[in-house]
Amino acid sequence: MNRRIRKVAVLGSGIMGSRIACHLANIGCEVVLLDIVPFELNDKEKAQNQSLETPSVRNRIVNDSLTSTLKSNPSPIYRKSFADRIKTGNFDDNMNLIAECDWIIEVIIERLDLKKVLFDKVEQFRKPGTLISSNTSGIPIEMMLAGRSEDFQKYFCGTHFFNPPRYLKLLEIIPSSKTMPEVVDFFMDYGKRFLGKTTVLCKDTPAFIANRVGVYSIMSLFHAVKDLDMTVDEIDKLTGPVLGRPKSATFRTCDVVGLDTLVHVANGLKENCPNDEANDLFQLPDYISKMVENNWLGSKSKQGFYKKVKDANGKSEILSLNLKTLEYEPKQRVNFPTLEMTKPVDDLKERTKMLFAGKDKAGEFYRKAFSGLFAYVSNRIPEITDDLFKIDDALKAGFGWELGPFETWDIIGLEKGLKMMAANGQKPAQWVADMQSAGISSFYKLENGVRSYYDIPSKSYKVIPGSEGLVSLANLKDSNTIWKNNDCSIIDLGDGVLNLEFHSKMNTIGGEVIAGINKAIGMAEESYKGLVISNEGQNFSAGANVGLIFMMAVEQEYDELNFAIKAFQDTMMRVRYSSVPVVVAPHNMALGGGCEMCLHADKVVAHAELYMGLVEFGVGLIPGGGGTKEFVKRLSEELNEGDIKINRLRDRFLTIGQAKVSTSAYEAFDLGYLREGKDEVVVSRDHQLKVAKESVIQMADEGYTMPAQERNIEVMGQEGLGIVYVGANSMQAGNYISEHDQYISEKLGFVMCGGDLSENEKVSEQYLLDLERKAFLDLCTKKKTLERIQSILTKGKILRN
Amino acid sequence: MGQAYIVQGFRSAVGKANRGGFRFYRPDDLAADVIKHLMKAVPELDKDRIDDVIVGNASPEAEQGLNVGRMISLMGLNTDKVPGMTVNRYCSSGLETIAIAKAKIEAGLADCIIAGGVESMSCMPMGGWRIVPNPKVGKDNPTYYWGMGLTAEAVANQYKVSREDQDQFAFESHMKALKAIENGTFKDDIAPIEVTRIFLDDNEKRQEQKFIVDTDEGPRKGTNVEALGKLRPVFAADGSVTAGNSSQTSDGAAFVLVMSEKMVKELNLEPVARLVSYKVVGVEPRIMGIGPVDAIPGALNMAGLKMNDLDLVELNEAFASQSLAVIRETGLNPDIVNVNGGAIALGHPLGCTGAKLTVQVINELRRRKQKYGVVTMCVGTGQGAAGVIELLK
Repeated sequence: MNRRIRKVAVLGSGIMGSRIACHLANIGCEVVLLDIVPFELNDKEKAQNQSLETPSVRNRIVNDSLTSTLKSNPSPIYRKSFADRIKTGNFDDNMNLIAECDWIIEVIIERLDLKKVLFDKVEQFRKPGTLISSNTSGIPIEMMLAGRSEDFQKYFCGTHFFNPPRYLKLLEIIPSSKTMPEVVDFFMDYGKRFLGKTTVLCKDTPAFIANRVGVYSIMSLFHAVKDLDMTVDEIDKLTGPVLGRPKSATFRTCDVVGLDTLVHVANGLKENCPNDEANDLFQLPDYISKMVENNWLGSKSKQGFYKKVKDANGKSEILSLNLKTLEYEPKQRVNFPTLEMTKPVDDLKERTKMLFAGKDKAGEFYRKAFSGLFAYVSNRIPEITDDLFKIDDALKAGFGWELGPFETWDIIGLEKGLKMMAANGQKPAQWVADMQSAGISSFYKLENGVRSYYDIPSKSYKVIPGSEGLVSLANLKDSNTIWKNNDCSIIDLGDGVLNLEFHSKMNTIGGEVIAGINKAIGMAEESYKGLVISNEGQNFSAGANVGLIFMMAVEQEYDELNFAIKAFQDTMMRVRYSSVPVVVAPHNMALGGGCEMCLHADKVVAHAELYMGLVEFGVGLIPGGGGTKEFVKRLSEELNEGDIKINRLRDRFLTIGQAKVSTSAYEAFDLGYLREGKDEVVVSRDHQLKVAKESVIQMADEGYTMPAQERNIEVMGQEGLGIVYVGANSMQAGNYISEHDQYISEKLGFVMCGGDLSENEKVSEQYLLDLERKAFLDLCTKKKTLERIQSILTKGKILRN
Repeated sequence: MGQAYIVQGFRSAVGKANRGGFRFYRPDDLAADVIKHLMKAVPELDKDRIDDVIVGNASPEAEQGLNVGRMISLMGLNTDKVPGMTVNRYCSSGLETIAIAKAKIEAGLADCIIAGGVESMSCMPMGGWRIVPNPKVGKDNPTYYWGMGLTAEAVANQYKVSREDQDQFAFESHMKALKAIENGTFKDDIAPIEVTRIFLDDNEKRQEQKFIVDTDEGPRKGTNVEALGKLRPVFAADGSVTAGNSSQTSDGAAFVLVMSEKMVKELNLEPVARLVSYKVVGVEPRIMGIGPVDAIPGALNMAGLKMNDLDLVELNEAFASQSLAVIRETGLNPDIVNVNGGAIALGHPLGCTGAKLTVQVINELRRRKQKYGVVTMCVGTGQGAAGVIELLK
């Protein structure tokens, strides 16, 4: 029988519990979120003469938690209204609700005795066969079985989310000796496809995989700072984006997580892993103990390794902790020749090689730190897992690293890595030597678009389980690229579907990408079913290459500029008007031109994490690649007889005028960037391309006919213009926008009204594109627009002039 | 020609828009209820002898559209003999109607008119559902279309009214209003309205609930100058006009019965007051809040009175900035302005306000045994209005 999850009970509404509840609501589940009844009344309740029997008092803890979670930033919920899917209650009055649930997750405080009491209660109401799991990060799953019924034991395992559960991709699945294999298989698949997570099957060992290795890595850096005489700023610079890790790097991450939490895990590892060869490293250095003593725990206590202060002028400044003196000092600029050298290198693999080869202190740091990490992870097999890829998966998904330890090792080279370790006195596990003597020199292998890993027991490569059927550009790139230029590649996905991938800087759209789109559509029309436009960069696209626009505008090459904008518009139109289906599959940021490309797709298959917007106002422009035109078209399509058109015009106008960016794909629907009934959301990033490819095939197989171009867009003309002028003037008079903003607003409004026509009239897309382009070009002649573009290009900041 | 007299007048309590007791109560129902209450108070009058019902309204569309004045005459009087019309001069509509009634009666065109106004700000957005400015004017003279809040900022800037003064003024308005409610001062004015609410309970079962609205809902007990000082400006990024020092959006209705001298004598009624004079002026739309500065002397002059003849001033109090600028520029004695609080505390149901303040000033003059009051207001798109009221008994 197929197991389905419709309703989930989350027991415990703390930071993790309420956020897990939100993420389950995100994917459409009904959620019952329960917590304890307060022990005493608070002042407000006393003042209102309430008692511990008052229903609102009884649910105060859970309701307060959920409310503050929903207010937190970044938002735990895709769309505000999804929070209505969460019903709150308490353990005393509402435990019966778990009988209706298909999955029960325990997320209460990390105390075995309390968990036991809760599970006793769960057993009273839980229907046999219902999934039950714990989100514990520290208590062995096996220990929770004591006193539990057989049915409970069979359906119980660990499901360990990482904070924040909406954004961090890791979900560790930890079976006990009694968990049925069917339950494990279910969670491995459900976590991936439904929750969008990387599910990693773990053994029931202390801190499981990600925290075991991750905390080792942090603790070893805590010691390395002293050994190598380095600073907080230096370590964070070296272990951040340059290495393919989050900006928060090491110490800032500690501040976010909270030093107390980290110390708790480290102490647990110190105590529970006596045979770990790195046990000494889990001993806290003095400065950490001192920080805990001082309650310098990070964000939660407003200071940790960093502290935000305001100077006399009210300007914020971030100070960093000098670990020797334990004084906060202004941030130092970090300078290493190796870092300078890697600056122009976009490719992470190339960069990683350069970092490790560095002749300075930075190079020394990398060699030393990674020698330890490589040895540590090799020695954790088979203790924490039998499969090396699980360690990489866990760290990548749980800590946001782009490369796992074994992947990094592959980049350095097995042999070089071993030499480096020997030089630093680190000893890898025997299986690495065995692998080497078997003539195998890499942990992973890519063959014919399929990635496999070195399986230690069989001493051979095996396909990574669960990756079957997925489509990955990284895997296909080497074997299936059939055309490429500097900024993009056309990759054959098989089954008659092509993919256009950008790889320009920040995936911006310039001449080469435009050429690539036309080439890809041309090829697809010739001999394929259709085209997907997607990539695996950090973001889908930061927008059009404004650098090019800037240069042409400054040189006053207006004819060329007109030509370039026209080419952009024509290409967007070709995305819609070609004889094959074109599906765009964006993820993370899809801004400006990247958004316009989506607006013209036959269908958008969006990742749930989609930050989409027409943000051209920020650089003093209006959407000029058909974005403005498309908003007018959609406005016209969404109107029904009797609607108040002018209010709808205002909403569409403000979405562009305020450069609104969605915080999720669902919000992109609300903002009108995505279309209900046409575009689609996929929660699993790993499945997104597969779905996009299938969409192309389906559309082609159903019989795809190029849409007809009609003169059917109703514009308002002068009926709409008045409110544009008055609105822009009022906003300027109220100092909400600058005079230049007012000017841009009037230009935008003019295009959106279809010009100054005397009455409502039906127009073609080309008419609007011409208006849009004219306004765009006019703005390019304005000094203030150029200043804005220059600010973005040189400082990465939006200038309000 | 004889004089026109105000024989009787009532208002509803003023409800908070979108949140209060009238939030779903239709303006035509509300106005009809007040008129029924008014008619009960004058049993001598045969309703078919009423010549007209004139209803002021600042957004005559949707629930207030389709000549709501006629609808209200039908609903409130339950006869088809009495006509009805709607008059819009924004915030002075409710006073304008009384002036029209007076003028018609004194010109011999009528003997008995019900005049006043109604506004439900719950039932539509400020300015109405569909605002379509003339693009030419929008380009050349955008201030003609400015929102009232922005004009209040312009007044604050031009007349140098500080944020602190505005907040202090707002605070005092609340305190005066709370005191008046506590003392039952408004009992004389208010026609209690019974409202039935039909709703679904938690189990989606239909429920009915009846309640009486007889108390103004706007005044905030807990407010203080510090709390008001923390509110952010809402009409300009660096402005001083906040939700706390602006009038509240509200729902309300108020009507008076205006009668000829001849008919008063015939029915043996005792008139309570009369509208002595009424003056409307035009000012720069950008600073519309300043309108009363010219209107008040105009009305006084017409009535042959001087500033110091005035015993009470009911100022519409659209914004604290505007109120203070008017008080200072006109040289009004602040002690006689809005003695029972103003619209910042009590609410400003636009088209009703003129009639509501007329009812209030008459009753307050009577309580104080004084003679002359003025009802005055700033009016959208650069106008000001003032009417001098004389108490007769």
